[in-house]
Amino acid sequence: MNRKIAAAVLAGVMAASALAGCGSAGAGGTAPASAAPEDTAAAETEESVAEETAGASADANSLTVWTWDPAFNIYAMKEAEKFYQKDHPDFKLNVVEVLSDDIETKITTAASSGDLSTLPDIFLMQDNSYQKYMTNFPEVFTDLTDSGIDFSKFGEGKRAYSTKDGKNYGVPFDNGAVIAAYRTDYLEQAGLSVDDFTDITWDQYIELGKKVKEATGNPLITSQSGSPDLIMEMLQSCGASLFKEDGTVNIVGNEQLLKALDYYRQMVEAGVLVEVTDWDQYIASIQNGTVSGVVNGCWIIGSITAATDQSGKWAITNMPRLDGVTGAVNYSNNGGSSWAVCTATKNKELAIDFLNGTFGSNVEFYEAILPSSGAIATYLPAGDSDVYSKPQDFFGGDAIYSKIIDFAGKVPSNITGAYYYDARDAVGVALSNVIQSGADLEAELQTAQDTVEFNMGG
Amino acid sequence: MNRKKGLTLQKKKLLTGWFFVIPATAFIFLFSFYPMLQAFILSLHRGVGQNLSWNGFANYTRILKDRVFFQTMRNTFVYLIIQVPIMLLLALILASVLNNRSLRFRGLFRTMIFLPCATSLVSYSMIFRSMFANDGFVNTMLRGVGMAPVGWFQSGTAARAVIIIALVWRWTGYNMVFYLAGMQSIDYALYESAKIDGASVFASFRHITVPLLRPTILMTAIMSISGTLQLFDESVNLTNGGPGRETMTMSHYIYNTSFVQSPNFSYAAAVSVVILVMIAVLSFIQMKVGDKRD
Repeated sequence: MNRKIAAAVLAGVMAASALAGCGSAGAGGTAPASAAPEDTAAAETEESVAEETAGASADANSLTVWTWDPAFNIYAMKEAEKFYQKDHPDFKLNVVEVLSDDIETKITTAASSGDLSTLPDIFLMQDNSYQKYMTNFPEVFTDLTDSGIDFSKFGEGKRAYSTKDGKNYGVPFDNGAVIAAYRTDYLEQAGLSVDDFTDITWDQYIELGKKVKEATGNPLITSQSGSPDLIMEMLQSCGASLFKEDGTVNIVGNEQLLKALDYYRQMVEAGVLVEVTDWDQYIASIQNGTVSGVVNGCWIIGSITAATDQSGKWAITNMPRLDGVTGAVNYSNNGGSSWAVCTATKNKELAIDFLNGTFGSNVEFYEAILPSSGAIATYLPAGDSDVYSKPQDFFGGDAIYSKIIDFAGKVPSNITGAYYYDARDAVGVALSNVIQSGADLEAELQTAQDTVEFNMGG
Repeated sequence: MNRKKGLTLQKKKLLTGWFFVIPATAFIFLFSFYPMLQAFILSLHRGVGQNLSWNGFANYTRILKDRVFFQTMRNTFVYLIIQVPIMLLLALILASVLNNRSLRFRGLFRTMIFLPCATSLVSYSMIFRSMFANDGFVNTMLRGVGMAPVGWFQSGTAARAVIIIALVWRWTGYNMVFYLAGMQSIDYALYESAKIDGASVFASFRHITVPLLRPTILMTAIMSISGTLQLFDESVNLTNGGPGRETMTMSHYIYNTSFVQSPNFSYAAAVSVVILVMIAVLSFIQMKVGDKRD
C-alpha cells in the first residue's frame, strides 16, 4: 500500500515536471519569424511580445535586431530606424530586448546545433566577447570589410575588438572609455577639489581617499566583490593584458597584474575601497550617496545621472595611473559594444546599408541619440559635433562628452582573445580568495594560470 | 488488428497494458534516453560547434586533472552531507506533528510549509541574496539584537551556510508532503493503541512511523541526493559560485564550461556523464542498504 501511494505521488511529480517542461519549450522559439504586420501602429505595441525570440526577418524590408538596454542601445536602434525610414519609408525594424548574456548563450546554442535560423539579422555584442565568438563560431559573423562601411572613421583600439585576421566583423557602437567621477560636495568637506584627482597615480589616490574617508566617513570607491573589472581597467591603462602577443597566458610573473592586485588590496585595507555583494548594491552605493566616487566605463554615467537629486554634485576626470610602470597612462576602457550582422540573414544588403546609413556614417544621428541615452559614439567625426561640447549641468557645467571622447582617443589597446573570459574569471577568483580569505597572492596567481592553461588544453 | 478471436483473456489484458505503457515509454526514450546517449557520444569528441573530431576517452582522463571540477565536487558533497539529513529529519518531524489529528488548522500549516516549493528557484534565490546582503534583512536583524553583522557572501563557510539555509527552506515542505502521503496508509489506531500502552510521542515516532515509512524515506533520500548533486539555480543566482569558487556546484561548472568560458561542450558532456554515474552509484548503495524487504 505504501509503495503504491509513493509510486502514485512519484508518477504525479514526473507528469507535472514533464508538462512544465513541454510548456516552457513550447513558449520559446516558436513565434513566427514573418509576423511583420502591415498595420505599423498596432505593431509598435505588439512587436516585442509577439516576436519575442523570433529569428531573422523573412520580409524583404524588415530587419530583426537583438539588443539589451531600453534606455541605451534599444533607444539608439529605434532612433536609427526613424533616420533610415526618411529615405526608405517601407523599412521596418523589429527590435527585440535580449540580455547580453542571453544573446551569447543563444549564439552558442544555435551555432553548436548548426542551425542559425533562430538568430536575428543584427545583434549587439560586447567588445570583450568578440574574439571568443569569432574564433569559436566564425560561421555566425558576416565579413563587413568590403561592405562600403568606412572603418577608418572609428577609433583604432575600438575597431580592433571586432577585427580578426585583418577583417572587420562588427560596426563599432558605444564607447567604454574609463572615467573617474567624484562627488564634489564630499571632496569639499575634505578640503579637496576634482583637480586634486586629475592626472594622479594610485598611490596619490589612496592618500586622498584616506582624507575623504576621514572627513566624510565614506569610501572613495565601491566594487562588486570578486569582480575583476577594476583590475582589468588598471591592466589596460598600461597596455597590459592577461595574454601575451602569441596567445599564451600571462598571469604568473605579470608585473602590471601583480601591481594592480596589490593596489586593490591596499585600498581595501585602508578602507578607501569597500566591496559590495552584487551589481544592484554597487549601483545603489553610487545613487544613495554612500560612496564618494566611481571609476568605471563611461556608460556608468547613465546610472549616476539617474539619481536626479544629485545634479550638480558630480564631476568627471581621468582615472589614476599605475606608478612606476612603463607605458602607464590615466586612460583605460571597460565595456563597449559593436553591431554584428548574422550570416543567416536573408537581407544582408539591407542590414549593411542600414548600419552604414546610421551607425556607420551619420553624425546627425549620433547627435540625436546623445542627449537622451548618453551613448557616446566611437565614430570619430561625431566627436567634433557641437552637441558633444555642450555643458552638462549635472556635472557642474562641464562639457563631459567631449572630455570623454578625448579620453577614448588615449586608451591603449589590449589583447582579448578567445579565452579572455576564462582568464578574467580566474583572476576574479584569485582576487576574491586574496581579499576575502587572505590567501597568498603568488599561489593564487599560479592557480589562476594553471586553470586557464587547463581550459586552453581542452 | 489485435482483436483476433483466438486471444485469451490474459493476453488481452497484457495488450491493454502495453497500449497504455508504450506512449509514455516512447516519450521517455525520445526525450530522455536518446539525448543522454547523444551526450555520451559527444563526450567522446573534441572541438567546437559542428567541427567535432574523435577524442576517445581523453575528456574523461582530463577530468582527473581538473582541479576546478574537484573543488566543485567537494562543494556539492558538503551541501549533500549537511543539508540532506537536516532537511529529511525536519520534514519527518513536521509531517508527524501535522499528522496529529487533534491539531487544529492542520491544513493551513501544511499549506504554509509547502508554499516555498511553489516559488520559482530563481526568484527565491534572488530574494535570499538580498536578504543576506551586507545591509540586508538578516544583518539588520542581527544589528537589532546587538550582534555583529556577518559578511554572508564574503567567506566560503558563510556563503555555503546561506545556500544550505535556502535549500532547507525551499525543499523541506516538498519532502514533508511525501511523508504525509505515506502516513495516510499507517493505521491511526496503531498510534492510539501505543498511546494507551503508555508509549511516548518519541517512542511511537521511532517504532511506528519510521519503520512503516521506510520506503518513502528511501525514495525521498534518493530524490534529495540526486537533486543536490544536480544543484544549479542556487549556485548561479544566490552566490554566483562565489566568493571565488567556494560555493560553485558541479552543474554550475558544467554550465560555465559551455557558456561562460570558451565553449567546450564535449568536456561538459563528459562531466555530466561522471555526475550521472555518481548519482547511480549512490542510489544503488542506498537501495541496497535501505530496502530491507527481503
